Amino acid sequence: MMTGTNLLHIENLSVEFTTDEGVVNAVDGIHLKIAKGQTMGLVGESGSGKSVTALAVMRLLAEERGRVTSGSIWFDHPALGSVDLLQLSEREMQLVRGNHISMVFQEPMSSLNPVHRCGPQVAEVLQIHRGVSRSDAKNTVLALFEEVRLPDPARVFDAWPHQLSGGQRQRVMIAMAIACKPLLMIADEPTTALDVTVQKEILNLLKLLQRDHGMAILFISHDLGVVSDIADHAAVMLQGKVVETGNIGMMLNTPEHPYTKALIACRPSPSERPEKLAVVDDFLYGVTPDIKEVDPIKRLNHHKEMYDGSPILEVKDLVTSFVTSRSVFGRVKSVHTAVNHISFNVYQGETLGLVGESGCGKTTLGRSLMRLVEPDEGKVIYKGIDLRAISKQEMRQVRPKFQIIFQDPYASLTPGMMVGNAIMEPMRVHRILGGDKQRKARVLDLLERVNLEEKHFYRYPHEFSGGQRQRICIARALALNPEFIICDEAVSALDVSVQAQVLNLLNEMKEAFSLTYIFISHDLSVVKYMSDRVMVMKNGHMVELSEADAMYENPADDYTRKLLEAIPGATYLPSSHQ
Amino acid sequence: MIQFIVKRLWYGLWVLFGVVTVIFFLFTVLPGDPARMMLGQRADISSVEAIQQELGLNRPVAVQYLNYLNDLSPLSVHKTNDQNSLFYLDDTKYSAVVLVAGGGIGMVLKYPYLRRSYQSNRTVASILAVALPNTMLLASVSIVFALFMGVLLGVITAWKNNIVVTRLTLVFSVFGMSLPSFFAAILFAWLFAFVLADVTGLNMTGSLYEVDDFGRGEYLALKNIILPAITLGIRPLAVVTELTRSSLRQVMALDFIRTARAKGLSVSRVITKHALKNALNPVVTAVSGWFASLLAGAVFVEFVFDWKGIGVVIVEALEYYDFPVIMGAVMTISVLLVLLNIVVDIIYGYLDPRVRVQ
Repeated sequence: MMTGTNLLHIENLSVEFTTDEGVVNAVDGIHLKIAKGQTMGLVGESGSGKSVTALAVMRLLAEERGRVTSGSIWFDHPALGSVDLLQLSEREMQLVRGNHISMVFQEPMSSLNPVHRCGPQVAEVLQIHRGVSRSDAKNTVLALFEEVRLPDPARVFDAWPHQLSGGQRQRVMIAMAIACKPLLMIADEPTTALDVTVQKEILNLLKLLQRDHGMAILFISHDLGVVSDIADHAAVMLQGKVVETGNIGMMLNTPEHPYTKALIACRPSPSERPEKLAVVDDFLYGVTPDIKEVDPIKRLNHHKEMYDGSPILEVKDLVTSFVTSRSVFGRVKSVHTAVNHISFNVYQGETLGLVGESGCGKTTLGRSLMRLVEPDEGKVIYKGIDLRAISKQEMRQVRPKFQIIFQDPYASLTPGMMVGNAIMEPMRVHRILGGDKQRKARVLDLLERVNLEEKHFYRYPHEFSGGQRQRICIARALALNPEFIICDEAVSALDVSVQAQVLNLLNEMKEAFSLTYIFISHDLSVVKYMSDRVMVMKNGHMVELSEADAMYENPADDYTRKLLEAIPGATYLPSSHQ
Repeated sequence: MIQFIVKRLWYGLWVLFGVVTVIFFLFTVLPGDPARMMLGQRADISSVEAIQQELGLNRPVAVQYLNYLNDLSPLSVHKTNDQNSLFYLDDTKYSAVVLVAGGGIGMVLKYPYLRRSYQSNRTVASILAVALPNTMLLASVSIVFALFMGVLLGVITAWKNNIVVTRLTLVFSVFGMSLPSFFAAILFAWLFAFVLADVTGLNMTGSLYEVDDFGRGEYLALKNIILPAITLGIRPLAVVTELTRSSLRQVMALDFIRTARAKGLSVSRVITKHALKNALNPVVTAVSGWFASLLAGAVFVEFVFDWKGIGVVIVEALEYYDFPVIMGAVMTISVLLVLLNIVVDIIYGYLDPRVRVQ
C-alpha cells in the first residue's frame, strides 16, 4: 500500500460528527502524504476539518463524539512495519501516542494540567513509554528543557503551569512532545495564542528540533503566513476537503484554487495599502476583484488637512494602575501601572492604531479614555471638556459619543435578548429618539447598513456566526450616533475571510458616519492596513507614535523593529523593505 | 501560610464577637426570667432577688454584656478584693492564672467561663464536654463514609459513562437526597437493629458510652455509631456521588485531558492521575457545608438513636431559654466552623495551586 518514503499516508479519510442538528461531515474523503522528516502545513479556517484530521490520526475522536466512516491512515511503525492506525487495538494505539506520534495543542494556557507541576508532567511520558525510573526521567526532562531553551530548567521543573508565561508553557508542551523522539509531531495551531515575537521564537525552535531529530511535523494553522515560515509543503482545506496541495512557495506565488487565492488576498499585507480588502466570496464565485492601491499623494494631502485641524481628543500624562496586593488592614501594598504617563492627540476622522503585545496596557488605555476604568492621573480632553473633571451625570451626556466594540462577539451579546432589542437598548438608556417605534425604524436601518436583514431583528445571538455577531455589535455601537469608536481587538477572533469583510465594513461605516477610530490590535498587518497613525505600546509606556506607512518602512525604535521583523510570512510574501 | 492562618483567625475572632453580641442582646429582649426558671413555680421574692443579684440580672444590660464578654475572654480583668462585685475573681467559677495584680484589680489568663445551666446548675463546660465529642465523632464518621463511598461511586459512574449505570446512580441520588433523616433513622433502626438484629448484632438505640448493669460500669460501645452514621451519611453520599460524577465529566472534556491522552495514557490512568484532583473542588465545597451542619447537631437522628449529642442539648436548652447553655453551644460551634473554614481553604490550595495563598 505504501511507498517506502512516506511516513504517514492518509487515504480517503472521512469523519462525521453527530450533533444536535444532525450528522456533519467534518472530513470528506481526504488524501494526504507526509514523507519522513518533512514539514507539512495544513491550512484552513475554523470548521474546515484540519484539527479533526489530526485527532483522527491520534485516534482521539471518540472523546469528541466523532466517528471515522471510511478510509485508512497508514503509518510506518518502527516495530510493526506499515500499519493502518485505524485498525490497531486501543492498547497498541496507546503505545503509539506520545511515543511515535506526539501532539502539541493550541492553547498553552489550558493544555497543561493546572494541578501538577510542569516537570513531572513531561517525565510521565518517559515513565510510561521508556519505563525509566523517576530520577532518570527527571534528568532527561532537565536536558529536554535545556533543548527547548527554557530558562532555568530546574526552576521550571518544579513550577506550576500558571507560574509560566504562554511561550514557556508551549515550550514545556514541545519538550513533552519530543521526549520520546517521535517520528511525527502534530502541532495544532501551536503559536496562535502567542504574541508575535514569541511566535517567531517558537517557530524557530520547531525548525531547529525538526532538523536535529529528523522528525516529520504536521503543522496546522489558519495562517498561511505562519505556515510559509515553517513548512516545505502545504495542503489547504475547505469544508472537509483538501482543495490544493503542493510546495508552499509555488502555492503562495501561483495559487491554483480560487480559495487559496482568496486566503492570500483577504489578509492585509504589511507592504500594500489597497482601497479595500478582497473577500472570499469574490473568488469562489469566479470574480477576481480589481482593487486599486490607495494613491499616496491623496493620502498625504488628506493627512495634511486632518492634522492641521484641532484634535478631537487630547490625552495628557494619563496614568492608570491596578492594586495587586493589600495588607491585612486593607492598605495598598503594591500596584501594577498598566498605563504609565501616556500623552497623545486624536484628530477628527483619523484611525489611530494601537499595537503591543499582551499585557502592554493597550486595552486598559482604551477603557481609561471612556472612564470604564478610572485613571489615577492625567487629562482626557474631548472637544475642550476634561472628562476626568466632570461629574457622573455630565459624563452620562458625553458617553453616547464614545462607543466600544469588543473582541469576543460571542461574549458581548446577552444570550437571552433578541438582537434587535440589544441594538435598541442603548438608545432607550440614553433616551434617543421619541419612542420605541422610531427607535425600531432606526435599528432596521442600521441592520441594513451592516448587511443584515430585517428578519434578523427577531433572532437571538446563538443563531448567528461570529462575523454576523460582530456586525451586530457594530450596529449597536452606531445606534447612539457616536463620533468616536474604540475597536478593541474587534476582528481578532474572526477567520481571515470574515475578518476582511468586517474590516471593510468598519471603513465603510467610518466614511458614512464620519467617525474617528482607535483601533487596538495585536496584529501588526491589520493595524497598518486600518490606521493613519500607529502607536506602539510596551509595559504601559508609549514606545513610538507616527504615520503608519513611515513607521513600517523605517521604525524609530528597536522594539518596533523587533515586532515588525516577527510578522510571519516574510519568506515568500512580497515585501517593500527589500 | 502562617500569615494566612493568623489573618483568618483574626477575622474569626470578629465573627465570634458578632455572634456573642447578637445572641446576647436577643436574649435580653426575649421573655422569661432565669431566676424563676431556676427556682420553679413557687419561689419566694427574696430567693428570686438573691439569684438575680448573684447573676447580675438586676444590673444594666451594658454591664451584664461587659461581664459576659469578660467571662468569655481568655484574657480578662477581675476585682480581687470585692466579693460582692460581678467581676470578682471567684475560684469556684474560674480556673485562672493571675498575670498582673494590684489595687484590688488583676489581669488573668483563664479558660473561657461559660457559666452554669439555669436548668440543671451543671457547668456548661461539663455539659458540652459530654455532648461535643459525641457529635464530632458522629459527624466525622458519617462525612468520611459519605466522602469515600461517594467519590468511589462517582468515579465509577463517570468512567463507565454507561447509560444504565448513570440512571441507576441518579435514581439512588434523588432517593438519597429526598429521604427525610427522621424517616431514614427509623427505617434503618427497624431494619438493621430489629429485623436483622441477629445477623448484625446492632442495638436500636445507644450512645458512644454505655453503662453496664452487671458491674462493668461505663464502657465504650463503638458499634453504636454505625447506624446513626450511615443514616446521616446517606444524603451527603448522594450529593457527593452526583457531584463527583458531573464534575469529573466536565473535567474530562478539558484540553489537558486531551494532552494526557495524547501522551499515551489509558483512560483509567487519566481519570485517577489527571482528572480526579481537578474535579474534587465542588465536592470539597459541598462536603464542608454538610460537615458544618452536622457539627451543629443532627437532632432527629440523635433523638431516634438516643445518641447524646449537641443537637438534643440545644433543643432542650431552647425550650427553657437556658441562655448559658445555648450561648456556650453556639460559641463552641462557631469556633469549630471558623477552624473548619481555614482547613477547607488549605485543602482548596492543596487541590489547586492557583488558589494557593502566597
